[in-house]
Amino acid sequence: MNSDEQLILEFQKGSRDAFREIFERYREPLYGFFRRRLENPARAEELTQECFLALIRNAARYEPRASFRSYLYGIAVNLASAEWRKSGREVEQTEHHDCAAREGNPDAALWVRCALENLEKTDREILMLREYEQLSYSEIAGILRLPVNTVRSRLFRARMALKEKLMPVQGDAHRKIEEPR
Amino acid sequence: MNRSTQHAFEPEEIMAYLDGELEARQAAALASHLEHCGECRTIAAQLRQVSERLLDFQIEPCPLKLGEKILQQGNTDIHAVSMLQFGKKPKPFRSFAWAAAAAIVLLLIVAVSVPNYLRRKMAANETTRVDQYRISVDNATVPAAGPTATTSRGRAVTGLQTLATPGIAADSNGNFHGLGDHAEGIVGGVPGGTAGKLEAQHAEGIEAPEIRGPMIVQTASITILAQNYDQASGQIQPLTSARGGYVQDMSANSQTGTARSVSATLRVPDKQLEGFLGDLRKLGHVEQETRNNREVTDAYIDLTARLKTARATEQRVVELLGTRTGKLSDVLEAEQELARIRGEIESMDGQRAHMEHEVRYATVQVQLNEEYREQLNPESFSTGRRLRNSLVEGLGNLAAGITGTAIFVFAYGPSILFWLAVIGIPAWFIWRRFRGTPKKT
Repeated sequence: MNSDEQLILEFQKGSRDAFREIFERYREPLYGFFRRRLENPARAEELTQECFLALIRNAARYEPRASFRSYLYGIAVNLASAEWRKSGREVEQTEHHDCAAREGNPDAALWVRCALENLEKTDREILMLREYEQLSYSEIAGILRLPVNTVRSRLFRARMALKEKLMPVQGDAHRKIEEPR
Repeated sequence: MNRSTQHAFEPEEIMAYLDGELEARQAAALASHLEHCGECRTIAAQLRQVSERLLDFQIEPCPLKLGEKILQQGNTDIHAVSMLQFGKKPKPFRSFAWAAAAAIVLLLIVAVSVPNYLRRKMAANETTRVDQYRISVDNATVPAAGPTATTSRGRAVTGLQTLATPGIAADSNGNFHGLGDHAEGIVGGVPGGTAGKLEAQHAEGIEAPEIRGPMIVQTASITILAQNYDQASGQIQPLTSARGGYVQDMSANSQTGTARSVSATLRVPDKQLEGFLGDLRKLGHVEQETRNNREVTDAYIDLTARLKTARATEQRVVELLGTRTGKLSDVLEAEQELARIRGEIESMDGQRAHMEHEVRYATVQVQLNEEYREQLNPESFSTGRRLRNSLVEGLGNLAAGITGTAIFVFAYGPSILFWLAVIGIPAWFIWRRFRGTPKKT
């Protein structure tokens, strides 16, 4: 089985099969990346597509110094940041209301999303890249241009903050689920 | 007592351990610590719980249509990527920009070159027409066969027809271009100008000078730094002779302890100048080179015309002296005039010959410098010679000192003695008077 780096090098030489393989490997993770960060599924789909198109257009610039995963998620983070910049003000105004509206919602996914949205932006990004994209500390540091120690300390801070938010909520949610019984 | 004193590991390190970010040795130590430390196990458990809770945030699967879209687009752009490998830019805008730039450049070239081509063509036609005028005038019977013929436009042509050479064109009014104001002055018939003088002379039947194109006095100066000075300096004269030239003057400087150099003024035929400079450049590194061209056509024409006028005058005076009789004083006056005219003629002849020589032989000033390398001077280590020189110098200094002292004594001694007597003797008496006589004991 070829590594990601071998596939992208083959793709640089014009192999369509290599691109198809990359696409199959990263289609779901990339869609998940954008979907977790955006409420609109259609927009997440569009950004996933844009991310692959950016990969196709910039494939010639890829150098095997960095891991392909970092390279691809670097593109994804840039696209997501651009998206936030475009609609940033709107999101900031609505996010707290959304959380408030979800407080009575027993859906665990929504609770987690709400808890994540209340984190500081960089902390949230670090946590999500670690938990969902499974990137190492050094890969996250490379993508976000932060020192590795900063990544570690911020990740810890984010996890502790989530512990405070999610654990009591989990209990309440369970109680609310159990009440009808 | 804080946590760090109780536990060997910080909570962050526990987190890094769970994330697999600790080194193997540290990870083993922390695993061992967790077995015995309940508090740290609690922290680890909480961190695991947080991660597990985060996994609740699941999203729906990726839509299938996304794959179709991207693969379809990817198939198109893979070709573009493979083109990029060969440095080609398939972007349509760039292609369009290049095409537009090429079109603009082509348009500029056409806009510049076509008018120039047309002007050259018109000038060539006009030159042909001028030549035709010359032929027709030569064939025609002109009174006294004078060199000046007037065309239907009232322009003087013959005698200056050689100016109508390639590179010197005439416009539709018959005015010549290519020699600047000079040509305009000659042909244009400006009153009081050179052409005016010529026409006046022509009217007297004096043949106008024949000029073969512009007369240029060429001078060049070149400074060369030669690594192999002996060889280079030895080649200056042979190179000059090989080109049919000669050395006008040459001086060499070969002082010990300094770079040697040769300064030379060389004269080479004007046609050989370029080749000769090329030969010189091969002698070493050219540090400086200057060229100067001075046109003397106007001055030459003027000088020649004046010379011919003087000769004609001389001829008339000679005829006058041979045929006419008169007073002796008149004859003497005519003889004096003849002598003056002949003196002028000789002077002008000399000037003209000098001018022609200046034109025929270009002047080249060459300064050849040696690339100086400091050398040991064996004489400086000849101690015996230095001692001898010092001794001779010392004796010379002694003799000079004695002579100088004697001169000083002879020159100023009498004066000093006189003033000592005038001032010293009264002072002596005054001193003795005021000192008083010593008390007798």
